[in-house]
Amino acid sequence: MIALEHVTRSYQTPRGRIDALADVSLAIDKGRFVVVCGPSGSGKTTLLMTIAAMLRPTAGTVRIHDADLYAMSIRRRARYRAANIGFVFQMFHLIPYLNVAENVRLGGSLLPAARKKHRADELIEQLGLSSRRTHLPAELSAGEKQRAAVARALLSDPDIILADEPTGNLDPANETAVLTRLSKFHRKGGTVIIATHGPAASPFADQTLQMANGRLLE
Amino acid sequence: MITPTLIFKEIRHRLMNFLLAVLAVVTAVTLYIGFYTASLAAERETARLMLSMGYNLRIIAADADMDRFLLTGVPDATMPQEYLQQLADAGHISYNHLMADLQQEIPLGDMTVLLTGLAPEVCPPGKKTPPITFQVAPGQAYIGHRIAQTLGINEGQTLDVRGTPLKVVRTLAESGAVDDIRLHCHIADAQAILNLPGRISQIQAVDCLCFETSADPVQVLRTEIGRILPRARVLQVKSIADARTRQRQMVRNLFAVIMPFIVLACGVWIAVLAVTNVRDRRQEIGILRALGYHSPTIATLFLGKAALTGLIGAALGFAAGTLLALRFGPGVFKITARTIITPQWPLLGWILIIAPLLAAVASFIPAMIAVAYDPAVTLREE
Repeated sequence: MIALEHVTRSYQTPRGRIDALADVSLAIDKGRFVVVCGPSGSGKTTLLMTIAAMLRPTAGTVRIHDADLYAMSIRRRARYRAANIGFVFQMFHLIPYLNVAENVRLGGSLLPAARKKHRADELIEQLGLSSRRTHLPAELSAGEKQRAAVARALLSDPDIILADEPTGNLDPANETAVLTRLSKFHRKGGTVIIATHGPAASPFADQTLQMANGRLLE
Repeated sequence: MITPTLIFKEIRHRLMNFLLAVLAVVTAVTLYIGFYTASLAAERETARLMLSMGYNLRIIAADADMDRFLLTGVPDATMPQEYLQQLADAGHISYNHLMADLQQEIPLGDMTVLLTGLAPEVCPPGKKTPPITFQVAPGQAYIGHRIAQTLGINEGQTLDVRGTPLKVVRTLAESGAVDDIRLHCHIADAQAILNLPGRISQIQAVDCLCFETSADPVQVLRTEIGRILPRARVLQVKSIADARTRQRQMVRNLFAVIMPFIVLACGVWIAVLAVTNVRDRRQEIGILRALGYHSPTIATLFLGKAALTGLIGAALGFAAGTLLALRFGPGVFKITARTIITPQWPLLGWILIIAPLLAAVASFIPAMIAVAYDPAVTLREE
C-alpha cells in the first residue's frame, strides 16, 4: 500500500512560491496499475518523484508498506529505493558511456553480481535488445533507449515501477512494447504508476488519477 | 563493477576533458617544480655570485690607534710600502685592485688639508682592469673643492707644499665630505713632503678572495694576510658585506613571497577543474542516486577519477618541470647549474601525494553537495 497524506511540495522562485503538489492525499493498493493524467505542469512528475523517495515533500508523509520514506536516513532511503522501486524517466537517463548491458546492470545495485548478470541478460532479451547489448545510448533509437531504461528499472525485481511519461518520445510500436512489458510486471503482482498526458496507457490501467495545478481532482 | 569500470569508461568517453584536466595539473605542477628549482638555484647562484665579488678590505698598520682611525678614517701609523708588493705577489689570494696611500693632515696656507699620496694601483698579473681611483703623476696634484676655494687656487697653478712644488692639474668638484680638503699627489711626493720614505698609511684591497674554501672567508683572509703582512691589521669594509647580505636576503624573500602564490594558484587551478568536472556530471550523480547508490559509492567514483587525474598530472608535471629546469636552468644559472639544477626527488613524493589529494578534495566537496540533494532535484537541474 502506498499512502500519501497531505503532501505538499513547494518551490521558491523569484516570483514567489509555487506548489507543485498541494495537499495531496491518496492511497494506492499493492498490485494496482495506476495512470496519473494531467497537462504539463500539473504535478505528475513531482508526485512520482515523491513516491519514488527521490524528492522530499515540503509537508506531509509518504508511506510505502507502512515505511515512512522521508523519516529514513539518506542512506537507508537509497537502499530502500534500490530494493523496492524501479523508475523509468521520460528522458531515459542512461549513462552515456556505458553500453546497454552495463546500463541495465547498473539497476541492481543490491543484487549479487552473478544474479544481476543473469537477470540483465534475461531482460535484455525480453525487451528485444539482444542485438544492441554492446551499443552505447548514442547509438540507440529512442525506443531502444526507453526499453533499456525499463530493463534497468526491472532488474532488481522491485515491488513498484514508477514511470514518468515513459512513452512520450516513442513511436506507436515502441510505445506498445514498453507498456506491454510494464503490464506484464503488473500481472505478476507489481504495482505500476505511470504519469502521462496521452491516452495510450489508459487501457492497461485499473485506476486513473487526474491532476491539475498540483492537486488531485476527484 | 561500478567503481573502476565507471571511472575508466567515463575517462574514455570524455577523453579530451580528461586530457585537458591532466594537462592543467601537468601545467600547474610543471610551474611549481620549475619555480621551486629556479628558486633554489637563484638563491645559491646569488650567494655564489656575491661570494665571487670578493671582499673589500682596508689594511692598516697594526700599531695604528684604532679609536682615532675609526673616528677620522686616517691611520696615525704607517707601514712599509713593500707590503703592497708582498700582498700582490701572494699566489693564494685573489683581488681586483690593490691601492696604497699615505695620508696625513698638514697645514697649508690658512687651513689644514689631508695630504694623500697615491701609489699606482696594482692589478692582478695578466689582468688589465681600469683603475678605480686617481692616478696622479709625480709633481702633480689634484685638490679638493674647499682647498681651491679657500686658497684661491686654480688649475695650472703650482703649490708649494713644505718646499715641494706640486702643479695643480685638477680641482675636484664639491663632494661634501673629506675629499673637499684632500690634496692628492703621487706617493713619492707625499713621502718626501712628510719625510716618510718607503712608508704607506693603508692598502685598500677590492674584491679580495682567498682560494681556500671556508665557511668564513673573511676570517681566512685575515689569517692569510696576517701571515704575509705580520705588522698589519685587516678590516672589512662593512657596507659591502651588508649589501651582500641584503642581496641574498632579497632573493630569499622574493621567492618566499612568490612561492606561496604559485602553490595557491596551482592549487586553485586544479580545484576549479575538479569542481567543473563534478558540475558537468551532476546528471550522473542524480541517476546513480535514483538507482539507489549511496554517497560513498558515488564519492569513490569522483574521488577515484580526481585522484587518477592528479596522479598522472603530478608525475608528468614533475618530469616536465624537471626537464625544463635541466634544459634552461644552466643557461640562466651558469655557476651553480651543475650542482643545483638537479631533479628534486624528495619533492616527487610530496607532489604525488598533494596533487591527487587536492584534486580529490576539490571534487569531494561539490560531489557531496550534489549527493546531499534529492536525486530529483539534481536531475531537474539538468
